Amino acid sequence: MVKGIERYGLPVVHMATVVPISLTIGANRIIPGVGIPYPLGDPTQGEVDSKKIRKSMVRRALKALQTPVEEQTVFE
Amino acid sequence: MKLELGKIAINDIQFADRTYVEDHVLYVNKGEVEAMVLEDDKLLECHLEIARPGDSTRITPVKDVIEPRVKVSGGEMFPGVIGKVTPQVGGGRTHALDGCCVVTVGRIVGFQEGVIDMSGPAADYCPFSKTVNLCVVIEPKEGLETHVYEKAGRMAGLKVAAYLGEAGRDVEPDTLEVFETKPIFEQAAMYPDLPKVGYVHMLQSQGLLHDTYYYGVDAKQMVPTFMYPTEIMDGAIVSGNCVAPCDKVTTYHHLHNPVIEDCFKHHGKDINFMGVILTNENVFLADKERHSDMVAKLAEWMGLDGVLITEEGYGNPDTDLMMNCRKVERKGVKVVLITDEFPGKDGKSQSLADTCEEATALASCGQGNATLQFPAMDKVIGTMEYIESQIGGWAGCVNPDGSFEAELQIIIASTIANGFNKLAAKGY
Repeated sequence: MVKGIERYGLPVVHMATVVPISLTIGANRIIPGVGIPYPLGDPTQGEVDSKKIRKSMVRRALKALQTPVEEQTVFE
Repeated sequence: MKLELGKIAINDIQFADRTYVEDHVLYVNKGEVEAMVLEDDKLLECHLEIARPGDSTRITPVKDVIEPRVKVSGGEMFPGVIGKVTPQVGGGRTHALDGCCVVTVGRIVGFQEGVIDMSGPAADYCPFSKTVNLCVVIEPKEGLETHVYEKAGRMAGLKVAAYLGEAGRDVEPDTLEVFETKPIFEQAAMYPDLPKVGYVHMLQSQGLLHDTYYYGVDAKQMVPTFMYPTEIMDGAIVSGNCVAPCDKVTTYHHLHNPVIEDCFKHHGKDINFMGVILTNENVFLADKERHSDMVAKLAEWMGLDGVLITEEGYGNPDTDLMMNCRKVERKGVKVVLITDEFPGKDGKSQSLADTCEEATALASCGQGNATLQFPAMDKVIGTMEYIESQIGGWAGCVNPDGSFEAELQIIIASTIANGFNKLAAKGY
């Protein structure tokens, strides 16, 4: 899906836990997820803090979307 | 560590007024077993059924398969899971009831529980179509949380297997084999001219009903460690997972790990089998990185020349597989991977989720997406109610007469990623 959308000229940020797979499939902008069961947030931290984590990740992703890249880049 | 493994050939199971073995038949006191299972207040009902090779019988949804065994020299069959955690297993003498299995069956826990057909085309793909199976059919209490039900089902199977195994305690086994691995320096010195080979054994540990237990420790909570191979052959690891049926490593498979069995066959002839590096497949990237680092460190520390690596499950564990491969190779240790493949029904997709340049040797155990026609059976042990939602099935795949079409991955152990099967890819 990442590659399919990018083929139409739209940049994509791939947010997923297993970065090596993101690299293997050819994603260009990658944000590591928290964990496979909960990529965007962390329920072990409680709902309030989990939401904070999610918000900060989404903001980071939006920033990555606007960042020009020359090669596959992981935004830590 | 030295294990004497005595095998008592069992050709049939029959119900009787007491439990014993005579003339290669396992007689089972049905009432006693059912009452023992129902000591767990999480379970509402339990009944036993026997399935024999060639029967027109389908068993589903299958949770685990276990071979009945007893530690003749003392201690528990599954230490840390049933009874005391000490002494460890892997040494002393064990008797196995060879040719029969305990199969736990019942309403689905997750969606990843499979099918065993005792005859027909699917029987060719499943090792448990050739064993005499005592099916422990359980019914959980209403409203039980899935993980609580999973544990109740898991413990029921292990308890029944340990109970039946007792019947073999005083029976003279038909065969008695001895397996031994010495402490590391002694073992290395024993065959100094042979290549030192180890086995990296990856346990399914994704959580959310995908768990395995090492001496009772939930495998996702451990870090890589060394094991004597005989410990695994002798009950140190039990399956608790509902991973895709085709590559589920049942408790039976842990006892009969084909990589360990084959390495022992070559031990002292063309390899020096040094032992097992046990690791896991967790759902956090840091765990994957940390544990693959530790696997590589252990491989180097053991002075290995080569390792075989197996995984359980597919998808993200492919990353653990590749990380282990890359990091072990970079220590100068040769790696051969053993796994199965999922290239989609049309066979056109990438068949592993991840890859790496160092993965230059791989033995394939077949692919799980190919489809098969399953004929209707005269008898169903368990229920066909969930076939369409079991992995490998799909909405509308079941016909009114009980026949259905599904991917091979619905069959227990059909493409098991340690090679305990007959599917293979051939290189030219």
